[in-house]
Amino acid sequence: MITPFRSPRLRSVNRTVLLGLTGAGLFLASLDAYVVVTALLPMLKSVNIAVNRPEQATPIITGFLLGYLAIMPLAGGLSDRFGRLRLFAACLVLFAFGSFLTATAPSLAQLVTGRVLQGAGGGALVPAVLALAADLYPTGDRSPVLGAVSALQEIGSVLGPLWGGLITASAFGWTWIFWINIPAAALLLWALWPEVRAGGEERRPANLDWFGALLATAGLSLLTLALYAATPEESPVGEGIIWQLPLALLCFVLFVWHERRTPHPLINVRRFRDSSFTGSALTNAIAGAGLMVALVYIPVLANAVFSMNASSAALLLFRLMLGIPVGALLGGFLAQRLRSYRLVAALGLVLAATGFLLLSGWNEGSLTPHLLGSPLTVADAELLLTGFGLGLEIAPVSAALLDAVGDTERGAGASFLIVMRLVGMLVGFSLVAGFSLWEFHRVTAHLIPPLPGLNPNFATQYAIYVLKVKQAIFDEYHLIFRATAIALFVGALLAGLTLRPLPRPRWR
Amino acid sequence: MHAGVSPSRGLAAGLAIIISVSSCGAPTPDAATLLKQSSQRMLGLSGFHFQMQISGFTGTDEPVQSAQGDAHPPALHARVNLKEGAILLEVEVIFATGDIYLKSFTGGWQKLTPDEVAQFFDARTLFDPQVGLFAAMRDTTAAARGNAEKVNGHETYPIAGQVSAGRMHQLLTLIRDQGSYQATYWIESQGSDLWRARLTGNLFDAAKPATITFDFSNHDHPVSVTPPPLG
Repeated sequence: MITPFRSPRLRSVNRTVLLGLTGAGLFLASLDAYVVVTALLPMLKSVNIAVNRPEQATPIITGFLLGYLAIMPLAGGLSDRFGRLRLFAACLVLFAFGSFLTATAPSLAQLVTGRVLQGAGGGALVPAVLALAADLYPTGDRSPVLGAVSALQEIGSVLGPLWGGLITASAFGWTWIFWINIPAAALLLWALWPEVRAGGEERRPANLDWFGALLATAGLSLLTLALYAATPEESPVGEGIIWQLPLALLCFVLFVWHERRTPHPLINVRRFRDSSFTGSALTNAIAGAGLMVALVYIPVLANAVFSMNASSAALLLFRLMLGIPVGALLGGFLAQRLRSYRLVAALGLVLAATGFLLLSGWNEGSLTPHLLGSPLTVADAELLLTGFGLGLEIAPVSAALLDAVGDTERGAGASFLIVMRLVGMLVGFSLVAGFSLWEFHRVTAHLIPPLPGLNPNFATQYAIYVLKVKQAIFDEYHLIFRATAIALFVGALLAGLTLRPLPRPRWR
Repeated sequence: MHAGVSPSRGLAAGLAIIISVSSCGAPTPDAATLLKQSSQRMLGLSGFHFQMQISGFTGTDEPVQSAQGDAHPPALHARVNLKEGAILLEVEVIFATGDIYLKSFTGGWQKLTPDEVAQFFDARTLFDPQVGLFAAMRDTTAAARGNAEKVNGHETYPIAGQVSAGRMHQLLTLIRDQGSYQATYWIESQGSDLWRARLTGNLFDAAKPATITFDFSNHDHPVSVTPPPLG
């Protein structure tokens, strides 16, 4: 929970500069949140992993999310105890070290370790910068500043895949996505160092729920392992699911038990009795899963079957990402205007689900037809619609959850929103990755490739084989997008049934 | 009267002799003997795990980048990374009872004809007792032992020597068969297990160098390779 407190020294320095520098660090980290989605294949190649073993890319994505989730709930309390700027500096160093490990990785293990550390460093920056902003600005002026910090993070996330794609396709190559973080982080630290060293920030003892955080992280790690299909030709989930899943559930049960008893819980679990709180939390997770599917699978589809390079794939995804901020702005406005969270949230999720259904009809010629003679293609419109829908639900779902927790727990509620979105991303992506690859292997189990040798018909047979493989890849993607659409329809239903209407304005 | 040797003095002398003999130890065999012993040892194992990595210039015709798997020479089961244009593809290979089986990007196992095998990677030769890597160890010339080195936590002697290009060509047919190449073997000082072998030279081009590195582990861990079900 973010609790502002007075810090005379911080107030005496130029707060715009201070917030600008820490905001730049947050932007740097948020760029890297989804940056790998357009660089996955070259990253795998550089650690000698073949393109037909994409399951090995899963931990590169889930590792970052896990690192982020592990540290984020504690970061607010840590910034209370050690100071916002000290925590910021430490996390920026951790983020830069994770970037170094990722850029120099000779093996998948180091690549994943680097991403976990990047996630942990980057995850803690969000509450640290938000809390710093709350310290620097008084109550009346705080709201637009907090909004600007959150927007900075969202913009970074949206631009990340494009940034990654452009660097990967350039002569520099994918490692420069991460190399560039090191001088940038060093420059920020250098600029902030006098303030960090002066230690003028107010600090106070904070009750950190280490045990709760440990249980939650252990549960999520075990769940991720249980869902990770390391050999998708044999199983859509992990080999150890039989013991990992029950153990994960036990960790979650213990977490709830502990949170009910501890005086300073990470999350007030009693709130789950409120259907509006639970509904908005679950809806948020489902929307996170939908966003993650789009983020990962659109660039890979562009690369695998439309033969696009990393920058073209990033530009294709960017059409969807553009729709998100537009939808987000309109969602807030509409919810206020119509005085209904449930209607706007459900509408957004239905639009996103419809977008995914349209994407599930893509084939080799889907990127060319133009929309009613306009410069936009039909595919552009479908991607924009999907992103727009995913954006539209953000404001009403977030507002419904924050209304449900009330003024006193608003900070914790805001963190919980991010946590639930990331949990949705983590679980949704893990499930989709395993089941889709398992389905691909099932469909192609008897599709034996022709071999050159003395085969006089090799060229023809090979061309037919390539066509069949492409069709199987399309079928796999159709399944992924349809499953995502169904999940989003369920989310729409959930939002429609559970979210409470807006509270009446107090002046009435 | 002749004074007898006291029991305590006898015991001390005996201990001193035992300690001095054991500290000298058996003399370390020469490089050629170590190579022969290690070759014999590796061919006699009931199984081991291996990793093969090709680096440097491999040309356009050499698709193999790396391989890893388990072997009970000459039988083996490996996952092989092949270079296909700008991408890497993984295939699975089994060599059992004299035949080679392949599992590719899609589909099940298929049995390859010798002609098809020659197209990409002849796994039959890799650990063949007559022409494979362990046979090449025996035929290494000008072998010299270096100072002890640790490889994967094991005390080894590096033995460096020369292998004729013709011999290497038998190992991988795309290797040029002119001149000779540098070979280094890391052999455990106790027991003759081979932990690493490195072959270096202008393997795939007259002017550009390349290196093939083999790493071994799980020595004598039983490996049984049988023909897979087809289709």
